[in-house]
Amino acid sequence: MALFANTTVLLGKELRTEFRSRELLTTTVVFILVVIVLFSFTFDPSVGESRKFGPGLLWLSFLFAASLMLQPCFLREQNNDTLSALRLAVQDPFSIFLAKLSANTVFLLLTEVLMLPIFAILYNVHILAVFPQLVLVLFLGSLGVAIPGTAFSAISAQARMRELMLPLLLLPLLTPVLIASTEATSGLLAENPGLRIDWLGFLAGFDIVFLTALWLFGEYLLEE
Amino acid sequence: MKNLDSVLAAYLAGWAIFFVYYISVSQRMSTLREEVERLKALLSKGSSK
Amino acid sequence: MTKSIARAAVLFALIAATAYLAFNYAPIEKSMGVIQKIFYLHISCAFSAFVAFGTCFYANLRYVFTREPKADWLSVSAAEVGLAFISVVLVSGPIWAHPVWGIWWTWDARLTLTFVLGLLYLSYLLLRSMIEEPDKRALFSALFGIFAFLDVPLVYFSIRWWRTQHPQPVILGGPGSGLEPRMRVSYLLMWGALTGLLILLLSARYKLEALRASVEDLRREAEVR
Repeated sequence: MALFANTTVLLGKELRTEFRSRELLTTTVVFILVVIVLFSFTFDPSVGESRKFGPGLLWLSFLFAASLMLQPCFLREQNNDTLSALRLAVQDPFSIFLAKLSANTVFLLLTEVLMLPIFAILYNVHILAVFPQLVLVLFLGSLGVAIPGTAFSAISAQARMRELMLPLLLLPLLTPVLIASTEATSGLLAENPGLRIDWLGFLAGFDIVFLTALWLFGEYLLEE
Repeated sequence: MKNLDSVLAAYLAGWAIFFVYYISVSQRMSTLREEVERLKALLSKGSSK
Repeated sequence: MTKSIARAAVLFALIAATAYLAFNYAPIEKSMGVIQKIFYLHISCAFSAFVAFGTCFYANLRYVFTREPKADWLSVSAAEVGLAFISVVLVSGPIWAHPVWGIWWTWDARLTLTFVLGLLYLSYLLLRSMIEEPDKRALFSALFGIFAFLDVPLVYFSIRWWRTQHPQPVILGGPGSGLEPRMRVSYLLMWGALTGLLILLLSARYKLEALRASVEDLRREAEVR
């Protein structure tokens, strides 16, 4: 159980670093807010139209925000030269990824839950009755973004133009997540809201596939 | 023979893509060959000194 | 050099022969007419592209576990050649779709998958060009390639489940069991010719990558002096 012990310690470290400054969270929240406001100019945000386009634009803004937010995840370690120390400190390198991706999921989920009421007010959709189900969709979707996102953050940290490379690597790969979570969300925002179990299952499957891949190949991502 | 021009266009476009790609590979190849020659000359000059 | 020219000439003759067969020997399809002849090129190219990306995935895995530079050369060659084939698929598809469906493009599962696949391997090549150090470039791009390939079935199924809820334009089964014999001969020959082209392009690109690696070695040696 050294994996879990290590992971919890590292997760605590990640969360403490972020909540000390809250840099990442505040900038991401403002970014999503800007995107949501700008999107309102591209169509007429009446109730019907919002039901049709709202979920898609919400998830698109989450995806773009995530591709920016995941940037410093490994860059910070690289800039401070702490990655090799981190690797020596843990038994299984997978715990580094597990901690980082859990932290990223928490950050994403926090910003999304914060933005949801603002989105609902601005676009006239009702979320109160389906809030717990929405959080479930948000959780599975954010996990799906965070798993490959954390892995690719380690890849893009090695490249030039890394600020552009991460979205470029991540966004096409996240096509299934975008489709599944948009469909699940629009099912909940429809006139007769219903939980789309099939899409939730799909999201869970996506998470499992990439978590397994990360478990198998994670140690190679940490080579220097 | 309706749409024959479309068929011809598709085959021509396919052929053109492969042709341009092959040309680009051989062009990159020849610049690299020149580079190899240059570097080899540079290295042999350096070692004779 | 003469050997490669000879090989290219043989291949060119093969492709010319298949084109002749496709146009003159194979019958004209009843419901679609002459436009169906694009399929010979389109389907064979799609097949070659998938073979190329499969090769790339295999080479990526091989590199991660063995660290042979050769596996890296194979993976970059396969990705690039696969992209060339995918672009032929993406160009010939709309040329066929426009007269038949009346639209150039529809976001059908197979079309979208092809497009996303092309995008993924485009970012793979871009990533390679953004990492300087050869070992790092090989390792990290291989890891990205593995993740990207794992995504392919997920993309396909997500789009299929999603779009089946909407009405489709015409859905065409692949060249199924009821294929006319002369059509089958034309398909087989075209498929053979394009597989030959795949091998030719792959080997040319592979040689290029090997040469580039030796240039990088020479450059490093020159810098040391």
